[in-house]
Amino acid sequence: MAEPFNKPLMRDYWAKYRWRTYVIITTAQAATMFVIIGVMELFGIVHVGWIGLLIATLLASLALNLVTVTLVHIIGRPFRDLVQAIVLVAGEPTSASPPNPNHYEYDNDGFKEILQTVYELAARETKIEQPPAPTLDATVQAGLANMNTGIVFMDGDMNITYYNEAAPVQPDTDGKPALAVYFPEDDTLEKWLTKTVQNKLTADHQWTRVADRLPGEKDRRIFDIAASYSKKSSAETVIVFLNRTHDYMPEEDDLDFISFAAHELRGPITVIRGYLDVLADELQPVLHNDQSELMERLIVASNRLNSYINNILNAARYDRRHLKLHLSEENVQQIYDQIADDMQMRASTQNRVLVTDIPPTLPTVAADANSIGEVIGNLIDNAIKYSNEGGLIHVVARPTPGFVEVSVTDRGIGMPNNVIANLFHKFYRSHRSRETVAGTGIGLYICKAIVSSHGGSITARSVENEGSTFSFTIPIYDTVADKIKAGNNSNLALIEHGSGWIKNHSMYRG
Amino acid sequence: MPIKTILVIEDDRFIGEMYVRSLKKAGYEVDWMVGGNDGLIAARNKKYDLILLDIMLPERRGSEIMDALRGDKDLIPGTKVIIITNFEQDEESRMAMESGADAYLIKAEITPKKLLDVIANLG
Repeated sequence: MAEPFNKPLMRDYWAKYRWRTYVIITTAQAATMFVIIGVMELFGIVHVGWIGLLIATLLASLALNLVTVTLVHIIGRPFRDLVQAIVLVAGEPTSASPPNPNHYEYDNDGFKEILQTVYELAARETKIEQPPAPTLDATVQAGLANMNTGIVFMDGDMNITYYNEAAPVQPDTDGKPALAVYFPEDDTLEKWLTKTVQNKLTADHQWTRVADRLPGEKDRRIFDIAASYSKKSSAETVIVFLNRTHDYMPEEDDLDFISFAAHELRGPITVIRGYLDVLADELQPVLHNDQSELMERLIVASNRLNSYINNILNAARYDRRHLKLHLSEENVQQIYDQIADDMQMRASTQNRVLVTDIPPTLPTVAADANSIGEVIGNLIDNAIKYSNEGGLIHVVARPTPGFVEVSVTDRGIGMPNNVIANLFHKFYRSHRSRETVAGTGIGLYICKAIVSSHGGSITARSVENEGSTFSFTIPIYDTVADKIKAGNNSNLALIEHGSGWIKNHSMYRG
Repeated sequence: MPIKTILVIEDDRFIGEMYVRSLKKAGYEVDWMVGGNDGLIAARNKKYDLILLDIMLPERRGSEIMDALRGDKDLIPGTKVIIITNFEQDEESRMAMESGADAYLIKAEITPKKLLDVIANLG
């Protein structure tokens, strides 16, 4: 047992090498300086005296030493990383993090491939040396089997080699055990593992509120999940499922309350909006201009109230992973047409000019029309709020590779860069917006939730006192048509028929 | 086939009256029932081109009416059904849709003017 510790440790090599290099280079430089200045003294070219010669040599050495340290640090970096990578893949204990082959300095000179090869060779070796599925001691196995916490072991190919009864595991289409939980689309276990295997030797990750069944389905369980990865271990990935259904279910009941509250609020709103619609139509011939304007303001206010309720309901659903999409082939112009009158009225009653530029040649998109209408409505509402009287608001749609991008631009008060980073957080309101405009800070949060659930992204650009542009993308229908058709045109069907732990999750909002 | 006759099954009197007023003004022949039982009886007594069906109804819920209508095989063909509710993403509405409804509308989102557009497109 003691033998390995008598051997020099590989991890210490770089430090020794670096010091030896400093000493050799600095000594060589000092000797060279001494000889050159000494010869110059001998031939009478300089007159520093022997003490001066020693001082000059010492000073020059010190100065050159600084240069040497810097040069060794820069020139020696690949060698240092190579040593570090070998130390890590050899399994020698070290606190150093694995060198990253994707470091920008290694992009073009081939060193990236050298590091990757080291990692790949190590992984290959693991496969050869790895024993068959780990055998568990009978006591350990009995202990794990009786736990209420789910435990899953995976090998290097992400195959499940062990799972206990509490783990949410179901046979996949090939009859092999597979995890049966709905990870968030942008943070699945597979995505995390794929990235980790490439770049790390050990890593941990956690997820909260991951369900094994859809809302409303019987025996639904909700887990907090922790995964640990360790390259070359006989159980490379260990996943622990902490069943927190009892903690999270009351929040699901809260959602029922929110849904009922929304239902109750929507009743009077239906009446107000409906009767205003009827009145505006029937009274149109007799109303004076200023009375028509008052009527329009009433309509705008009731429409906005309805939007607020939708935002609250959507945010509550999204937070509890209950938000659903019904994706179908949609035309961006037709989506906008559904909200066009409302938006035009919202802009005109607040003296803004709303202009749209949606080319008829745009490809169709895979979208939940109502949800995308809500996103555009929220962005236009924001543009109205944060722009000035008479300001222009420009809604533009254009194709980008694989997506259609919709942008809403205003020439309003804009915002500084530090605000943009936080814009899409729930209830975030910048100091300035709190002072100038009323609002809750929930609109952009739900915009991001809806857009990312479509597989798109949302961004903001802004210049203070000049204005802002919010842009979001939605996938072109053809790029996801097969997936949607396979699910019988309904996201719900897609999920219910999904057999894996990553499949089709993108169709499920939140 | 163009829609001429409409049965509205809606328990909220304000909302029911609003739909009836707009639909009649647009030239449709409209009957309005408040309760689930009366609604089902009306749907069985007369052949309507369209039924506007609320989900949360007294006596008999919209989804039950939908099931009963689906059971009457000679009733559903030729009669379109639009589910109107202020519940969204709930299981009952989804089941009603799967029972053969032609559309599912959130009442707060659909003003009478928009409802007329939907009906015109349905016909």
